[in-house]
Amino acid sequence: MALAEQTKIPNPIGESMPRIDVFEKVTGAAVYTDDIQFGPQLLYARVKRSPHPHALIKKIDVSKARALPGVKVVVTGDDFPGHIGLYLKDKHIFARDRVRFVGEPVAAVAAISEEIAEKALDLIEVEYEPLEPVLDPVYGASPEAPLVHPDLGEYEVVNFIFPKPGTNISNHFKIRKGDVEAAWPKCAAIVERTYHIPHVQHVPIEPHVAVAKVDETGEVTLWASSQSPFAQRNLIAKTLGISQSDMRVIAPYVGGGFGCKAGVTMEAIPVAIAQKAKGRPVKLRLTREEEFYTNFVRQGLVIKLKVGCDKDGNLLAMENTMYWDGGASTEYGVNITRAGGYSSTGPFDIPNVKTDSMCVYTNHPIGGAYRGFGMSELHAGIGQVMDELAEKIGMDKVEFLKRNVVQGGDILGTGMKMHPTGIKECIDKVAEALDWGKKAEPSAPNKLRGKGIAVMWKAPAMPPNAGSSAVIELNEDGTLTVNIGGQEIGQGTFTAMAQLAAGVMGVPMDWVRIAGPIDTQYSPYEWQTVASRLTWSMGNAVVAAARDARQQVLKVVAEAWDEDPDDLDIVNGTVVSYKSEREMSLKDIGIYGINKEGDTGWIGGPIVGRGNFMPTYVTGLDPETGQGNRAVVHYTTGAQGFEIEIDKDTGRLEIIRAASAFDVGKAINPDLVRAQIEGGFVQGMSSAIFEEMKLVGGEMKNPSFVDYRIATAADIPPEHKTFIVEVPQDDGPFGARGIGEHPMVPSIAALGNAIYDAISVRLDPPFTSEKIYLAMLDAGLVE
Amino acid sequence: MHNPRPGLPEFDYVRPASLSEASRFLAEHQGEARPFMGGTDTFVRMRDGFWKEKYIVDVKRLDGMGDITFDPSTGLTIGAAVNMNRVIDSPEVQEHYPLLAEAAKTVASFQLRSRATIVGNICNASPAGDTIGACIVMGGVLKVHGLDGEREVPLTGFFVGPGKTVLKPGDIVTAIRFPVLPQGHAGRYIKLGRNALSDLAIVGVTAFAYPDDTPSGYRFKLALASVAPVPLVPEKAEEILTGKPITDETIAEAAQAAMDACNPIDDVRGSARYRKYMVRNLTRRAVTDVLNRLQ
Repeated sequence: MALAEQTKIPNPIGESMPRIDVFEKVTGAAVYTDDIQFGPQLLYARVKRSPHPHALIKKIDVSKARALPGVKVVVTGDDFPGHIGLYLKDKHIFARDRVRFVGEPVAAVAAISEEIAEKALDLIEVEYEPLEPVLDPVYGASPEAPLVHPDLGEYEVVNFIFPKPGTNISNHFKIRKGDVEAAWPKCAAIVERTYHIPHVQHVPIEPHVAVAKVDETGEVTLWASSQSPFAQRNLIAKTLGISQSDMRVIAPYVGGGFGCKAGVTMEAIPVAIAQKAKGRPVKLRLTREEEFYTNFVRQGLVIKLKVGCDKDGNLLAMENTMYWDGGASTEYGVNITRAGGYSSTGPFDIPNVKTDSMCVYTNHPIGGAYRGFGMSELHAGIGQVMDELAEKIGMDKVEFLKRNVVQGGDILGTGMKMHPTGIKECIDKVAEALDWGKKAEPSAPNKLRGKGIAVMWKAPAMPPNAGSSAVIELNEDGTLTVNIGGQEIGQGTFTAMAQLAAGVMGVPMDWVRIAGPIDTQYSPYEWQTVASRLTWSMGNAVVAAARDARQQVLKVVAEAWDEDPDDLDIVNGTVVSYKSEREMSLKDIGIYGINKEGDTGWIGGPIVGRGNFMPTYVTGLDPETGQGNRAVVHYTTGAQGFEIEIDKDTGRLEIIRAASAFDVGKAINPDLVRAQIEGGFVQGMSSAIFEEMKLVGGEMKNPSFVDYRIATAADIPPEHKTFIVEVPQDDGPFGARGIGEHPMVPSIAALGNAIYDAISVRLDPPFTSEKIYLAMLDAGLVE
Repeated sequence: MHNPRPGLPEFDYVRPASLSEASRFLAEHQGEARPFMGGTDTFVRMRDGFWKEKYIVDVKRLDGMGDITFDPSTGLTIGAAVNMNRVIDSPEVQEHYPLLAEAAKTVASFQLRSRATIVGNICNASPAGDTIGACIVMGGVLKVHGLDGEREVPLTGFFVGPGKTVLKPGDIVTAIRFPVLPQGHAGRYIKLGRNALSDLAIVGVTAFAYPDDTPSGYRFKLALASVAPVPLVPEKAEEILTGKPITDETIAEAAQAAMDACNPIDDVRGSARYRKYMVRNLTRRAVTDVLNRLQ
C-alpha cells in the first residue's frame, strides 16, 4: 500500500507533540561538541590563514614554529596533496602553491595550550606573490579574467555538473525550452531587470568546533558540530586516503547549522593534524571572526531577468542569466547553481525558457549550503520582476500570480511533469490575511505604506540518489529505540521521527527513544541533514523500519496465538486480536520472544526493524537543453506577504504585519512546522533588511556582530500569521514534504514588492534604512 | 583581515586600596595601565588587539564610586562605578534628570547595561556614546582624582578626538555631577540604529530646553553623536532655537544648521551623506518632541 493512500493517519502523527529534546536543551543538560572533555592529552589547533585574496605561495618556513616549546605538530599544504569536495574536488585542506581567498588555511599548529599555538602561528613565515584577484562574477565569467583554478579540467566531478576548463565557470546549467526569441514579439509587456544579491553569513550561535583523534592503527575519530557526519566521513577519508570504515564521526547536538555545518569546511583540519599527533586528540574551535572570514557563505548573485506576458497576463517567455559568485572553491556551490538552474522559472508555468546559470570562481569566501540553497537569491529577482510585469500589464498582482503559478500536470522548464500542489491556496491565505486589495492609510503623516506578496518553490537539492536508513529496536520495557543518521539541528527532526515511529508501530510517543548522538559507527546511513529532506526521506526510512518491526511482532504473536497476523493490531503498546480479543504488551514480546503453550519452546527473539529509502526516479538532464524526465523529487511551494511602513524621515522600514503559507503535504507536527515557518520568516526578513557581508578587495569589512547586523527579537513584527496547506506528496511519509528552508525563500521579493508599493522604487537587498532613504531622496520623494 | 583569532592578552589585574594609590600607579605606568569600570569597552578593545595594556586597574570599589546621591540644592552625583541599569532605575534620575535615563536605555542591551557605566561611556570618548549628549546638555561636570588631588573638569572641551580626552596620566574620573536643572526643563534623545536593538548610534541627537527669558522663550541645548570626531554641539542651531520665536520654519532652520555643523565620515555603518540628512531630520524631530514635552 502506497504511503499516501493510507487513509487513516495514526496518532501521534499530525499532532503538535512537545519536542523530545526540550528538557535537556532548556536545562542546559544537552551535550554539544565543545562540552566533551578530552583530558590532559588534548592539543589545541590554530590555523595560519592567507591575508591575500589571490596570491602564489612562494615559500613557507615553519622551522621557528616547530622549535617553540609546547608545539607538537605543524602542518602545511605540502603534507596533504589530496583534493576534497562534495560535487567537484577543487579544494585542498591547506592551500598548496596558491591562495584564493582571504582567510584560506595555509598552515596549522597544534600545541599543548591555545596560547602557545597562537604564538607559534606568528612564527610561521609565508612569502606570497600577490596576483590580480577576481572580485566580481560577471567579470570572472569573461575571457579577460585571470583564472582562479587553471587546473579546473583535471578535477574529479560528478556527472551532473558541467565545468568549462580554461574559464572560471565551474558549472554552466542551461535550459532551452521552446523559443524565447520567437516569443518576445508576441508579448504585450516585457520587463527586464538585473538584481545584485549580496553575500550573507549563517551566523549560528555555536561556532564550528571539531576534535579529532587518530589511534596507533590509523583509525580516526572525529567529534564535530555537524549536519553531515556521513558525508564528512566519506569526504575526509577519501582525501586522506583511508577507508571510510576506518573513520568514525560522532556528532552531538548542533547549536545552529543553517547549511554551514554541511559538507566539509574546517572539520578536515583537526583530522589532518591528528594524523601526525601520535594518538593525542586535537581540537579546533573557530572564533566568531573566523566564522565570518572563513566559513561557507551564501554566495552572491547577479541575476539578469527578462520576462514577458500576453495582454491577458499569461506568461509567454523568460530569459534568466545568473552569475553566481561561487568564491574560491565551488566544490559544494556548483550544485547550488544547478538548483538555481532547474528551478530558474520560479513556481511559474512558462512555455518558453532560456536559462544560463553559471557558477563563477572568484577570490571571495567559499559559497556553500545556506538555508534555501540558492532559492532566496533566485526568487529575490523572479518575485520582483513578476510583480513589475503584473503592474505593467495592468493586472492585480495576486490575480497575476494565480493565473501563472504552476499546477499539477504542468510541464516544467526541465520537462518534468509537476505533481499536485497547493500554491494557489497559499496565495489566497496570504492575500486574505493582508486584506489584499484594500489600501490602508499610513499611521502618521511622515509614513508611507505598502503591501507586497511573493511566491516560491524549492526542491530538495541533492544527488539524485541520496539515501536514508533507519533501524528500530524493541527494548525490554516495550519501548522503541529509533536509530537514525539524520541530525537534530534545532528543526525538530528527532521529534518528528519519534512521532512517525510511534504512530506506525502503535505505541505511545513516550515509548520512543532516538539513539544519539549520531555516530557513524552505530547510526544507520544518512546522506546529509540538508535540503529540507529529513522529514520526507529519513521519514520514509523510519516508517519502513517501524512497519518492519511491527510486522515482526505481529507475526510472532500470530504464531503464538495461532491466529492470522491480519487480525492483529498494536494499540497503545499492546498487541490485540480483533478476533479472539486476546492482548499482550510489547514488554512481553520485544526481546525474549514468547514461550509456547506448555513450555514447549519459544517463538521470536529480539525485534529489530529495518528500513531504507532512496529516490530511484530522478533522471539526468541534457547538458545543452536541461530537459529530462524528472529533474527533482518534488517541489514544496508557498507564499509570503508583508504590509509595511516606511519612515520618510529616516528610511526605516517597519513591518506592520506579515503572513506566510506553505504546502507541506502533511504536517507531521503542526507546531514544529509553524516554528520552522516563523524561524525562516525571521531569517528571511533579517537577510532582506539587514544582512550583507561587506567585501572590499576580497576582505570582509564587517566581521563581527557589531557591524554584521542580524534581526533580534525586537525587530520581529507584531503580527505574523502562518498557514499550513496540505496537498499530499505521493512519495512522502503520510504525504509529507520538507519545510525547513522554504519560509525564508520569498522574503526578499515580498519585502521588495512592499517597498515598491510604498515608494515606487526597486532596490537591491539588503533594504537598509540608509538605502531606502537615499533612494527616496534621489527619487524626489523626500527633500 | 583584522585579527581573525582575537583573544585577551596577558595582563595584570591591579586593585589599589585608595584613589591616591591608584593615581600613582596609573601615572607610574603611563601608557601601559588603564582604569576600568564595567569593562564593556576595555575588554572588547583588548580582545580585539587595539589596546595592549599590561595593567588593568580596578577602581570600582573605591570610596564613593558606587553611589548615586541627589541633593535638591546641589544636584545629582553619579559615581563612576554605577552601572546604567541603576541609573535608569533611580527615582531621582527619573524625576529630575529623565533625559539621562532615556539616553541610557538606548545603550546596547540590558545585560551590557548591568556592567556599563555613564562615566565609562564618557571616558571611552567614542563620538557614538549615547549618554554623552545628555551629560553635555545638562551641564555635567566630571570629578577627577589626579596626582594633585581632586578637581572638577567640565565636559565642554573634555573630548579631544575619538578615544581621546584631556585627562592626564594618573587621572581617575570618580563621578559625574549635574547641577540642579532649571524649572520646566525637557529633553529628548533619538538614536538611529541599523536595527531595533543594541546597535551603535549611526546618528544620535540630544535636545534639551527649559523656559528662559529669550526671544523664543526657551534656552535650547543640542548635542550630536557619531557625526564628528568628538561629540558635537551645534551652537548655531542652539542660537537659532533660542534667539527666534519658535515656528516650523525656525525648527527647520535650526535642523539645517545642525546638519551644516556636522562633519561625519563614510564608514561601514553608514555614509556621510545619509548621516548628514539624519542629523537634520532627527534634530527636527527631537526639537519638536522637546517642545511637546515642554508644554
